[in-house]
Amino acid sequence: MTTTLLPARRKDQPRDARLADRRSRQDHPSWFLWPALAMLVIFFFTPTIYNFVYAFTDWSSFKSEIGFVGFDNFVKLLQNGSLLSDLRVTLIYAILVAIFQNLFGLGLALVLERDTRINRFARAAFFVPVIMSALAVGYVFQAILKPDGVLNNFLTTLTGGEVSIPWLGSTTWTIVVVAIIHAWKWMGLSMLIYLAGLKTINEEVIEAAQLDGAGYWRIFKAVRWPLLAPAVTFNFATALLGSMNGFDIVQATTAGGPGGSTELLNIFIFRTFGQGLFAQATAMSLVLFLVVALLAFPVIIYLRRRERVL
Amino acid sequence: MRKSIAGLAAAAAFAVVAAGCSDPTTAEAPDSSSSAGGEMAAEQWPAQDTSREGVTLTIWAAQNSTQTAESVATEFEELTGATVDIETIPDPYEQSIQTKVATGDMPDLAFWQPTASMLTALNAKTNLQPLDGAPWVDSYTGSLADMTGLLDGTRYAALVTTPAVEGVYYNKDLFEQAGITETPSNWDEMIEDADTLKAAGITPFYEMAADRWATQWWVQVQLADAAADGLWDRVNANEETFTDPTILGAIENYKSLIDDGYFNDDIKTATFIDQGNALLDDEAAMVMQVNSYFGQLQSLSDSATLDEKVGFFPISPSGNVGTFIPDQSNAVVAFATGDDEREATARQFLSYWLGDGYQSFVDTVETVSLQDGVESPAGVPMALQEVAASLDNSVGSMQALAIANPDLYIYLADMIQGTKTPQEVAEATQQQFAEFAAAQGAAGF
Repeated sequence: MTTTLLPARRKDQPRDARLADRRSRQDHPSWFLWPALAMLVIFFFTPTIYNFVYAFTDWSSFKSEIGFVGFDNFVKLLQNGSLLSDLRVTLIYAILVAIFQNLFGLGLALVLERDTRINRFARAAFFVPVIMSALAVGYVFQAILKPDGVLNNFLTTLTGGEVSIPWLGSTTWTIVVVAIIHAWKWMGLSMLIYLAGLKTINEEVIEAAQLDGAGYWRIFKAVRWPLLAPAVTFNFATALLGSMNGFDIVQATTAGGPGGSTELLNIFIFRTFGQGLFAQATAMSLVLFLVVALLAFPVIIYLRRRERVL
Repeated sequence: MRKSIAGLAAAAAFAVVAAGCSDPTTAEAPDSSSSAGGEMAAEQWPAQDTSREGVTLTIWAAQNSTQTAESVATEFEELTGATVDIETIPDPYEQSIQTKVATGDMPDLAFWQPTASMLTALNAKTNLQPLDGAPWVDSYTGSLADMTGLLDGTRYAALVTTPAVEGVYYNKDLFEQAGITETPSNWDEMIEDADTLKAAGITPFYEMAADRWATQWWVQVQLADAAADGLWDRVNANEETFTDPTILGAIENYKSLIDDGYFNDDIKTATFIDQGNALLDDEAAMVMQVNSYFGQLQSLSDSATLDEKVGFFPISPSGNVGTFIPDQSNAVVAFATGDDEREATARQFLSYWLGDGYQSFVDTVETVSLQDGVESPAGVPMALQEVAASLDNSVGSMQALAIANPDLYIYLADMIQGTKTPQEVAEATQQQFAEFAAAQGAAGF
């Protein structure tokens, strides 16, 4: 694929340039590509293709033969209300995560923007959750948010009255709580990208705005936020599409409960696979794959267009 | 160049797809003639002390069963010279095992729920060794031999400890406090007692909807009479469904008991651990549970206190019939690995476990003996003895008798959280049941 990066050879190119071109080709013989390609085929293409194929079979733990059944799995899935309601939950979750993660990340980046020693330390500290195990994060938060957990104890001490809010027990609000946990875990990454974005803004532009008498908020609104557009595109797209594939944090905190209100599609897939209905689970993950792909294009196109306005 | 890469990728992809269309377990399908042939009984069931120097057996166990086989494995190693490795498979145990086995990875033995539905889930006919004619089968007390471990008339699982029974664990102090002197002898009497307790300001029942899994016991015990009357056979044949009056009625009844305030106020957020504490701390009088609940109580208190404080009675609509539900820690299956010597050693190990080694086994793990000639140790708590005693006239649970095990407990928990009506619970369960049945190729689905 690297060959596509080379400029097309033109007839009117001077001879030297053509020679240089050939030399650069010899610098990058095609077999350089093979190790990477092999990895890609084994660990990326293969599972993806399996995913496509098995979705059209009746593979299960109940029998040894695997037969093709056409679109049977998909028809049944569409008839079953669980798929659509889980897709809805997944979408809501992904949007919430995208919003919170960007709010937290941008806030942190703005607060920790200046290169002081404390700020450097704080940036590293806020990045720690990113490299933590998601399951560990989930279990820790589950303990904190229990009715008799740390948070309620803290609130009890603070307010003087008995507080026993079941943070993970509301069929309406728990999805927001879990999305905040997800956003908390990944906000360090968004922070880093926003920080990089802020660094690329030309000092002179800010200075010019200051000379024009603009205050902090005015500069942020009119100059820095628009110039952060590429960082917003990346952060929003990765947070949204990444959390569509969310599983571990939700599994550790609520396992899809209460009342199925946080049952992401991946949790449903996990449950179905575990029950031995391998083909149905594969069909569901194919549906998820298609939904993520369908969602990715308009979102990224919209965000890119937003950048072009600059 | 670009073309050749695309070609390469396509060729690789095709090769992968072509290779992928066979189930890895079929490639290792065992030579079943070596293990199924009953005519060579001596070879089929080798003497318990046959030397097995150099043979290594692997046993898969869950977190809560990994200790169970330890002592008997050590004794077997000393007796035969074999090596027995017990591997703990992390929870969710059943899902992990099913996935491993589906991809061709199997141990010699594993703890496994001995019900027909779970044996089917493991594709027993291909993956497991049949245990017909096993020397220990005749030693089982009462009807234990025919109760479970069978799939279509073939024995695939060896029961090693008492199958769990769904029933009511009650707080003797609170019963006394409310003036209840005798345990109820049928469902209506239990509800009358609950009314008495309620009038005395005591919460009658405690449920744990946050951890979900125990919710199904309330529906299942109400179905005990129907189960004795062949309910699950009709469900298996698709002649009756979860949405028909019998099962739906049990779900509705459970819901109305909750709505009428018979349960703890924090039913939505309560967990298994809370449920254990509730009975011991006099927060509630009764808990509908299985044996693992008593294990939880044992971890919170000592046997003497428990004997004094906690009792057990089985319950069904018309009487005191328990509903049995063997679980993963109660039984062991032997895999058809294709290696004759290891397969024979695995059978020999089971013969020893349930033969010469059984007395020492029940003594070490302090459990109720399942065999006529083997005494239960003195240390077994009273409640567990009551549970074991209720086994003989008990009926099978959904897990024991239905051909598939749908997520009834999750849907019931959803109902308690308010996101499903009883009708929707029944519909979701039926839909899932039908899906499993169809995947198995069951007639009528």
